[in-house]
Amino acid sequence: MSQTPLSPTRSASGSHAGRISVIASHTFTQLVRMKVFYFLAVFAVITIGSNFFDLPQHAGPEAAGTNILNSIKSWSVGTMTLFSVVFAIVATALLLPKDVEDRTLYTILAKPVPRLDYLAGKLLGVILLVFVSLALMDGLMTAVLQIRSSMILSAQMELAHSRGWSAPEIASMRNDIVSQGPNISLQAAVFVVFLRASIMASLALLISTFSTSTLFTSIISFMIYFIGHFQADARGVFLEAGAGWMTRAIALLVALVLPDFHLFNEFDAVIQGQAFPPMLLGQITGIGLFYAVFYVIASWFIFAEKEF
Amino acid sequence: MKHWRRPLIVLAATLLVGAVRLPLEAALTAELRGAGLLAAPLAVGTREKLGQTSATVALGGLRTLVATFLNLRAYTFFTEARWDDVADTFDTIVELAPQTIYYWETGASHQAYNASAYYLNDSDLPPLRRDAAWRAAVLKGRAFLERGIRNNPGNPKLNAYLGYLLIDHNKSRAFRDHDATFLAAAQAYQTAADAPDSLPFLRRFQLYSMARVAGHQAEALDLARQLYQNQGNRTPTLQCVYFALEMGAYPMLFDPESLAIALFGSAEKAYATLSNYWLRANDRLPVHGVASAIRALEAQLEIGADKSVFLQHPVQNAEDE
Repeated sequence: MSQTPLSPTRSASGSHAGRISVIASHTFTQLVRMKVFYFLAVFAVITIGSNFFDLPQHAGPEAAGTNILNSIKSWSVGTMTLFSVVFAIVATALLLPKDVEDRTLYTILAKPVPRLDYLAGKLLGVILLVFVSLALMDGLMTAVLQIRSSMILSAQMELAHSRGWSAPEIASMRNDIVSQGPNISLQAAVFVVFLRASIMASLALLISTFSTSTLFTSIISFMIYFIGHFQADARGVFLEAGAGWMTRAIALLVALVLPDFHLFNEFDAVIQGQAFPPMLLGQITGIGLFYAVFYVIASWFIFAEKEF
Repeated sequence: MKHWRRPLIVLAATLLVGAVRLPLEAALTAELRGAGLLAAPLAVGTREKLGQTSATVALGGLRTLVATFLNLRAYTFFTEARWDDVADTFDTIVELAPQTIYYWETGASHQAYNASAYYLNDSDLPPLRRDAAWRAAVLKGRAFLERGIRNNPGNPKLNAYLGYLLIDHNKSRAFRDHDATFLAAAQAYQTAADAPDSLPFLRRFQLYSMARVAGHQAEALDLARQLYQNQGNRTPTLQCVYFALEMGAYPMLFDPESLAIALFGSAEKAYATLSNYWLRANDRLPVHGVASAIRALEAQLEIGADKSVFLQHPVQNAEDE
């Protein structure tokens, strides 16, 4: 039977993008059905709770505002980092073994679905899940920060007026509080958290293509995640003279093989009030995309010849 | 072997790509550190102090989170007056979050104010050791603050806080060389005042600090004249310091009483303001011509000897004149 211009293989659903999006949305639904979003309740308790806790303060009433905002940011972004990385690794590690176990993999690969589309779809499903989770957490954090900084600002303004502060002093205090509240740099920092989780997901995908179990993939991925934060140290050891050749060789191997996750730690500085220049964010995004694409291509290269 | 052929090719490609990205990432890391967006690697000592779990969390890119929890721990140490533990904890906190000014201010304040006052007033130490412990705590607070400034060069808050500590007359006994201390305070206030959108009082405090340094009073007089031009700067202290500096520089040119009335607007106001200023002897501000002016104003305003300000703080030597 000859193909017509409207035949399914040439329609949008038959294109690479169409296949990838179908697999991605299926993966997303599959993960949502695993009730992973329950963790958001924990995050909500931590974030909203931190708004009501009257934590001990070292400083006097004039300074009682901004530190609590820093605390809310560090708890929230810390929780986002942990959840996003755990999600990315565990969800990706589950993908291939679960499809093999359910035998859905055989059904999919028996159809004219390129293996690259299958892998890209699965990965995008996980990344979509991480993105939605982070967006929800970010929205909650921003709302709590906005409310808390407004509360602090009005309390401090009242204090300033009662003490007869001058207009420049009030403006300086206002700037101090506002700079610690939600801002664009904080959103950029959350985006970098997302990038790091996406790299971890693609790395876990690569490991899962030759690993024999979910547990193995998860453990190795977490190890790489932590060792990846030492990458800058390893590079320093290699580049600086003085260390023995054996130490330098090991350092070089770590620096060459593992991704540099230290590059994605900007949120610590942003929480402390540092601005995130768009140019640097662009460079970080470029590196993140490079890692993700490289790991996907490497995964496909191994997965292409895998026999089931 | 065939089974491992492709993974080995991937490994080789990873190594090759790694060789390409290594210099690029090293350059980007340096750029991000230069922009203050990435912290330097944790020192081995700090990793040991943090313990295995916290070090892992901190190395996993959650330094501010660990710092937040350590800050809570430091608060407990503070309530238990465990000052060495407070100092140790803040040393670790600022290693983790060196850009958080609050931690530098709080760590310094615990040593320079809380620990020092505790050693002086509440501890069981014998008097001589109390004094030594008090001084050591004040100096520790200062050193911590100066370390904070080295980590955050030009930060107006930290510089202003250092200036405040150095001109605090309750702490001046701890700093043996008064001229050097006041000069350091003047420099700290100057850095704070030079920052964009700085508060006007910082420049005035630069003046008050510099006015106390022997050999810098001509410089201080120039600054005082400049500040005096702005109506908003005419606070009682600035007017008094300006008066004393002019009298110190040109003792033969001005009549103290006339200059006081010209600067303060009326004899009553001049007397009230200069009297208060005279009583702040512990602040070591310049007092050239102040006693003469007060004496003349007391005569003009017919203030009895029993109500003279000199009963509260008598003239001690010729320099006061």
